[in-house]
Amino acid sequence: MNAALLSLSLPLLAALLLVLLRPARSGLCVILMSAASLTAAAFALQQAISLAPQLLQIGGWETPLAIRFQLTPLTALLMVFTAGLHLLVALYAARSPHATGNEDYWPLSCLLHASLVALWLSADLFNLYVTLELLSLCAVALVALAGRKAYRPAFNYLMLSLAGSLAYLFGVALFYGRYGVLDVLVLAELTEADNTTRLALLLMSVGLMLKAALWPLHLWLPPAHSGAPTAVSALLSALVVKGPIYILWLIWSQIAPPELGRQAGFLFAGAGILALISGGWSALRAPRLKMLVAYSTVAQLGYALLALGLLLHWQEPRMEAALWLFILAHGLAKVSMFLAAGELQRVLGTRRVRALKGASQNMPVAMATFAVAGGSLIGLPPSGGFLAKWLLLQPLFEQPQHWPWAFGVLLGTLMSAAYVFRVVALGFDRARPNPPSVKPDPVAQWLAMLPALLVLSLALISEPLLLWLGGVAR
Amino acid sequence: MSSSLFWMIIGATLWLLGLHGLLTLRQALRRIIAFNLMGSGVFLVMIALAARSQPSDPLLIALVVTGLVVAVSATALALRLAGVAQGPEHPTGQQEPRQ
Repeated sequence: MNAALLSLSLPLLAALLLVLLRPARSGLCVILMSAASLTAAAFALQQAISLAPQLLQIGGWETPLAIRFQLTPLTALLMVFTAGLHLLVALYAARSPHATGNEDYWPLSCLLHASLVALWLSADLFNLYVTLELLSLCAVALVALAGRKAYRPAFNYLMLSLAGSLAYLFGVALFYGRYGVLDVLVLAELTEADNTTRLALLLMSVGLMLKAALWPLHLWLPPAHSGAPTAVSALLSALVVKGPIYILWLIWSQIAPPELGRQAGFLFAGAGILALISGGWSALRAPRLKMLVAYSTVAQLGYALLALGLLLHWQEPRMEAALWLFILAHGLAKVSMFLAAGELQRVLGTRRVRALKGASQNMPVAMATFAVAGGSLIGLPPSGGFLAKWLLLQPLFEQPQHWPWAFGVLLGTLMSAAYVFRVVALGFDRARPNPPSVKPDPVAQWLAMLPALLVLSLALISEPLLLWLGGVAR
Repeated sequence: MSSSLFWMIIGATLWLLGLHGLLTLRQALRRIIAFNLMGSGVFLVMIALAARSQPSDPLLIALVVTGLVVAVSATALALRLAGVAQGPEHPTGQQEPRQ
């Protein structure tokens, strides 16, 4: 537990120090801090695997009153994921200052990191609300770093996200009124399928779906994510939307009674399929490159929603591993994709997809990054996306009455292939290229490639990964 | 009807009113007020729940105080953002000073 707490307090401390001292080389400090936090999180993961799940009562209060932190292999893995992605984005952002908006990026990204780690560790509904709110305040401030044109999307993002939080808080109040406790582990044993619980779960789910931009509540995401500075877009798409999804998984798989889960799971899975189709369609038609990548986030979250829905609908534990693998693989691939898109956009001096014609002749590494990351989004082997999709499809193929779901997944895969190949086909065209407006920076392109290479090799470490994520019947 | 149920209904109505305002209004300041109305609605429900027992439940009061702090800081950020987003339009070609 101590390693986990260290991994939480390092970014928090770094953020405060960066604000107070304003050092000249903030980028280097953040890189060192996130590397240290990554090491601590790796230690926590090792501890969580070798020992039983650990609990910490903050302040030493008794159970019904205490705010609890819980360290399981899953939370530890998510902490490693958060610190790792923050490190990768910080490496790129330190190399290319244009990607950050301005210097305020550094303390804000550290605060974002700290609030996410606190969110993974919390096992208390109200504490989850506080961390969720911290997360969205940091995210809004980061979006606003892009300057004047981003203020309006940032403001809309803030308003919708606050509405989502208050819906969640209403649900929390109803839970407390009905059961008198807020601790997730205690609530898990108490809940019954009555009307108050239904209403509370409905309010919380709607709020969280709004915050995670899950279909049909996703409309705020594309302007906010594509308007933000490049490094911020990468953090938002890869990490921030995953926080509410974690809470959604927590309340439905741990707290909600199974019979309610069966009913809601069907709706979640249906929304997931529709997200895949509508997000993919919008990505296919988006005129601007970052808008395309942002819509692809909406579509890819559809897979996570589908896995969550089927997990609840059939009470199928294998779906849990699929859900978390989608989250990990999507995070890595999306960081790469946004960084490559930002790099292409800066060098070519335009945001339009059409301008990418022949871009691989000037920026081969950035285009290759886009293609490799896109391969994981489509689910080509041996990437992490393939592994996740394999896990998702396995239970679907076993029984013929499940095949319509598999057809939905196939449709989503074709959609994602279409929008990835729309960009890749243009980029690798041998036509006369658009002349670059500034000199391409090869180091920055390779830094953007790094997460894509990681996601490509995710299948190689699949065995320990599946073991930590709750195992798969072999 | 008990008084706590009465106040819970009032709170839920305020929350719904605020939600309606947040989704339909266009001006930034009105939306911020609508969000605060939603917050007040939830806090009223929580206080009404706390007042069901004698003496009232201290945990819920603590949650409301924490929630108020969160709501105040969110309102501050929202007001600042709305201020700069709706500030006087600069003529084209003039750069906005970095915040």
